[in-house]
Amino acid sequence: MAPPAASQRYPSPSQPSGKSEVSDLKSQLRQLAGSRAPGVDDSKRELYKKVISYMTIGIDVSSVFGEMVMCSATSDIVLKKMCYLYVGNYAKGNPDLSLLTINFLQRDCKDEDPMIRGLALRSLCSLRVPNLVEYLVGPLESGLKDNNSYVRTIAVTGVLKLYHISPSPCIDADFPATLKSLMLHDSDAQVVSNCLSALQEIWSLEANHSEEACREKESLLSKPVIYYFLNRIKEFNEWAQCLILELAVKYVPSDSNDIFDIMNLLEDRLQHANGAVVLATVKVFLQLTLSMTDVHQQVYERIKSPLLTLVSSGSPEQSYAILSHLHLLVVRAPFIFASDYKHFYCQYNEPSYVKKLKLEMLTAVANESNTYEIVTELCEYAANVDIAIARESIRAVGKIALQQYDVNAIVDRLLQFLEMEKDYVTAETLVLVKDLLRKYPQWSHDCISVVGGISSKNIQEPKAKAALIWMLGEYAQDMSDAPYVLENLIENWEEEHSAEVRLHLLTAAMKCFFKRPPETQKALGTALAAGIADFHQDVHDRALFYYRVLQYDVHVAERVVSPPKQAVSVFADTQSSEIKDRIFDEFNSLSVIYQKPSYMFTDKEHRGPFEFSDELGNISITPEASSDIVPAQQYEANDKDLLLGIDQKDDNKGLSNNNGSAYTAPSFESSSNITSQLQELAISGPATSAITPQSSFGFDDLLGLGLSAAPAPTPSPPLLKLNPRAALDPGAFQQKWRQLPISLTQECSLNPQGIAALTVPQSLIRHMQSHSIHCIASGGQSPNFKFFFFAQKEPEPLNYLTECVINSSSAKAQIKVKADEQSTSQAFATVFETALSKYGMP
Amino acid sequence: MLQCIFLLSDSGEVMLEKQLTGHRVDRSICAWFWDQSISQDDSFKSLPVIASPTHYIFQIVRDGITFLACSQVEMPPLMAIEFLCRVADVLSDYLGGLNEDLVKDNFIIVYELLDEMIDNGFPLTTEPSILREMIAPPNLVSKMLSVVTGNASNVSDTLPSGAGSCVPWRPTDPKYSSNEVYVDLVEEMDAIVNRDGELVKCEIYGEVQMNSQLSGFPDLTLSFANPSILEDMRFHPCVRFRPWESHQVLSFVPPDGEFNLMSYRVKKLKNTPVYVKPQITSDSGTCRISVLVGVRSDPGKTIESITLSFQLPHCVSSADLSSNHGTVTILSNKTCTWTIGRIPKDKTPSLSGTLALETGLERLHVFPTFKLGFKIMGIALSGLRIEKLDLQSIPPRLYKGFRAQTRAGEFDVRL
Repeated sequence: MAPPAASQRYPSPSQPSGKSEVSDLKSQLRQLAGSRAPGVDDSKRELYKKVISYMTIGIDVSSVFGEMVMCSATSDIVLKKMCYLYVGNYAKGNPDLSLLTINFLQRDCKDEDPMIRGLALRSLCSLRVPNLVEYLVGPLESGLKDNNSYVRTIAVTGVLKLYHISPSPCIDADFPATLKSLMLHDSDAQVVSNCLSALQEIWSLEANHSEEACREKESLLSKPVIYYFLNRIKEFNEWAQCLILELAVKYVPSDSNDIFDIMNLLEDRLQHANGAVVLATVKVFLQLTLSMTDVHQQVYERIKSPLLTLVSSGSPEQSYAILSHLHLLVVRAPFIFASDYKHFYCQYNEPSYVKKLKLEMLTAVANESNTYEIVTELCEYAANVDIAIARESIRAVGKIALQQYDVNAIVDRLLQFLEMEKDYVTAETLVLVKDLLRKYPQWSHDCISVVGGISSKNIQEPKAKAALIWMLGEYAQDMSDAPYVLENLIENWEEEHSAEVRLHLLTAAMKCFFKRPPETQKALGTALAAGIADFHQDVHDRALFYYRVLQYDVHVAERVVSPPKQAVSVFADTQSSEIKDRIFDEFNSLSVIYQKPSYMFTDKEHRGPFEFSDELGNISITPEASSDIVPAQQYEANDKDLLLGIDQKDDNKGLSNNNGSAYTAPSFESSSNITSQLQELAISGPATSAITPQSSFGFDDLLGLGLSAAPAPTPSPPLLKLNPRAALDPGAFQQKWRQLPISLTQECSLNPQGIAALTVPQSLIRHMQSHSIHCIASGGQSPNFKFFFFAQKEPEPLNYLTECVINSSSAKAQIKVKADEQSTSQAFATVFETALSKYGMP
Repeated sequence: MLQCIFLLSDSGEVMLEKQLTGHRVDRSICAWFWDQSISQDDSFKSLPVIASPTHYIFQIVRDGITFLACSQVEMPPLMAIEFLCRVADVLSDYLGGLNEDLVKDNFIIVYELLDEMIDNGFPLTTEPSILREMIAPPNLVSKMLSVVTGNASNVSDTLPSGAGSCVPWRPTDPKYSSNEVYVDLVEEMDAIVNRDGELVKCEIYGEVQMNSQLSGFPDLTLSFANPSILEDMRFHPCVRFRPWESHQVLSFVPPDGEFNLMSYRVKKLKNTPVYVKPQITSDSGTCRISVLVGVRSDPGKTIESITLSFQLPHCVSSADLSSNHGTVTILSNKTCTWTIGRIPKDKTPSLSGTLALETGLERLHVFPTFKLGFKIMGIALSGLRIEKLDLQSIPPRLYKGFRAQTRAGEFDVRL
């Protein structure tokens, strides 16, 4: 598949041919506009079709807007639909002309045919022209009362669209209340589910500045509402079921009976034909039982079978999504899946992304009982035609070897790979053998005899070469020709492009020298000379260092370079358990697919659902994107200060006041936004904390540098160690804040510099963050500022939540602390106060 | 919350664009996507979920058409993928297949369908029988009708009543002069035979496919003779869960027309109907290959359409293969297919020949995997048997039909 020429794919609006044809269409449409001749609809249909097809290809046909509208008087429903489609596409760009369409759309909203009423209403709401909202309210009101459920369904979604165009008319018309009563009383399931989805969105956006909306949002999670939905979940279509299940995940059950009731209600959902429903149900089950260990275990057993069926029944794309989730579960509970390892065997025709995941599964479920079979299977893949998969499977064998106690058979298999004489197999295997030897030095004898037989000329990949060189140095006494092989390699120093290999060469030459001095001396000399002359800084430095250590004392050099080693017992895991837990909390989301918690991949482009602009490479920012939205440059200007964006936006809206609920962190749609930004701050934590006085001391001392700019000796290190990377999502914060009692209230004062610095409240947020105290929400205007902070104790993850109200005119701060563990709240308050008192200090 | 759906042709051309929310997704994201997918290796190309600089992109590929959906918010990925699969299914159902021309010729219908399937980024109804009520498929009949009656509208006049009925999968009160219901057991056997000829994995994935043309509001009960062999089941939303749980019977009000009532898995089968015995020896630049195929355990019905295909390794420069039964074809991409058909009574089909390796290679290091295909009509290899199908109220002129068939799914024989 060759890449098509750009012009072919995206004909520009100015394309000459397109232009003349468009003007042709224009005149033809004009002729038809007034005509009432029989058969005129047919010609219109042809013309409309042409216009739409141009639109579809990407030619700009907005210039015929007026003519299209003029021709729209018709009773033909397909013509109508095409017209709606066209109008919906171009109305935003032609707000003045759109006014023309309002008339005929409003008329259609009163048509006898409910289908036309519905379609017209949908198109009317899809125009999305802000100054036309006044025309929406009336049709929506009657649409919500329509006796046909199709129209009601569309009207409910229309309300949400209206809200997004302009919230105030939507709220003024009291639509949320209407939707709520529809949700609880309408007989049609689709209407009910659309109400739910619209209300969730409206209320969570409203909750930022309205206490009532906040309460309403809470009420969706109340027991009667949740049971109202769950009891009749079967009446809803599959997509609405997903919506309800997502709602149920957020519900906090009152007791264990409650939990079992819900699970009983939902159990048959695990058998649903739609994978999305199954996965959403699995999430509910997992979340409900988190606190009940043995039930949680049973849940795993229960969900295993449905998930495995989904993997084998769907398309590869579906399998991929499910396998990603299964992988998460397998890693958490490998023993439950250990007997099902055959499900993860790769079939020849599967796409490589599925195979790759399956290999990871096989690695994860391997234990004493099934290792033999799994490794046998993996070895077959090593001879696979797909080289990438062959490599992955060798790595998988290695990983299994490193996590097992009985590696006897595996080592033999690995060594057999070396005999296959395929470059990439040899390369991968060498790297593995090296790791294996670091963990199981007792195998050195068997391995070395095979590795010794490999000609270094056949190995090109830097990683493999480095591994071989490492082994040559480490086991120089066992490999008779080690010094000569090294010498050979050193002679070709110039041709060695990888710095990593050259570094290893230096070290190996040193080690070899200590073991077999006479044979290596010459090679070592060459290596050091070449190393010192090397243009690569690290290589140069290492060579110089070795040279000087050798000059100083050879025995010291040996102790430094080649000390007796202890076998590595556990290799560092790439992902901390904390991160894995976070991913687990985000089950059934993209986090699982990427195997990262959301804050790691939602970067600054991700500005929440309704405040982004479409810049992407060569895309120009559309005018409406920059007009009704906080300008994107603001974000660009200040990568780290994403909170600034939010606060300012609040200010712009004039919504900030000191009412407590105004600060409650929003959740649902916007929560991902805030979380991501929050997390971004949290990620920058370690970097910032490196320059905080406490943590930088050791480092500075080591280098023997004076701390000129550092403040006078820091007070005794805080008793409490806080996690600089603590993370808490706004929803959880909100919940905790409601649940926990206030354990401490305190007043403290700020120094004048701090008050001065507070003109930019973000500076305080950054300052506190450097003390591992993270801001979750902030607001207010001079002189009153309000911040919500949280911090997490280390090593045990206990949270401290703090509300801090600062009055800049009196230079006083009121803090309220709520803590998971009451006993340490005083200690935390001290830390907090100390941190606050240092604010503004140079 | 999906924001936009694009349909791309196999050359990356945007065939169709459907914006779903007020926030337009510029179609240049497709250019980004396409550039990425041709610059990256295969593994990226088909990864179903990718992150572009501005959006998350979900994609599925069906018959050369790429279905893209863009979102900017965290959402259940499987929901997006499932939805795209449904869109592809519905389109291919409507258009009688999927290819570039069909989509381009019928783009109005595609727009109409998408309009009803998703609104404001949230999926509405994807049930084909209901969609068919709202938008008539562009079939020959409707074309004929439009010529005769002069009414070219492809929208049926009926209201989308099913969307509002309490049995959302069934249109209101269909009428048939003769009432027919067919039940098909369709099974696929997935198996892996390893290098030593051992059956490593063998399982059946099966579906109970139904075609129901019954008037009114029929209530059916389907029972199996041996439901205990089923490992795990997935049901169409119409199936009532309780009767299955207590008596292992399927009780349901069927959708109208064809649908998939249930799918199931049967694990740990001990035997395959056909055996494949490949052998390869290589020495000084040439390989001798021989493959035998025969009946291992007679299922009692004829095994048909037996094929064996494999990919010749890259290092094979030429191949000379012949068989004593059936035909052998080697395509330019080194895919070799041996079409056997039925196994003759008097001899065992065998394929043999030599492979010449590229110069410099002594032995073959990469071994092909053989993919076996077969079909057996009239039997479900899992052993699942339908006992009976009951209707609560028996309509006049009722005809019930049962069929079964098994075919090879992913049947790998490794060398």
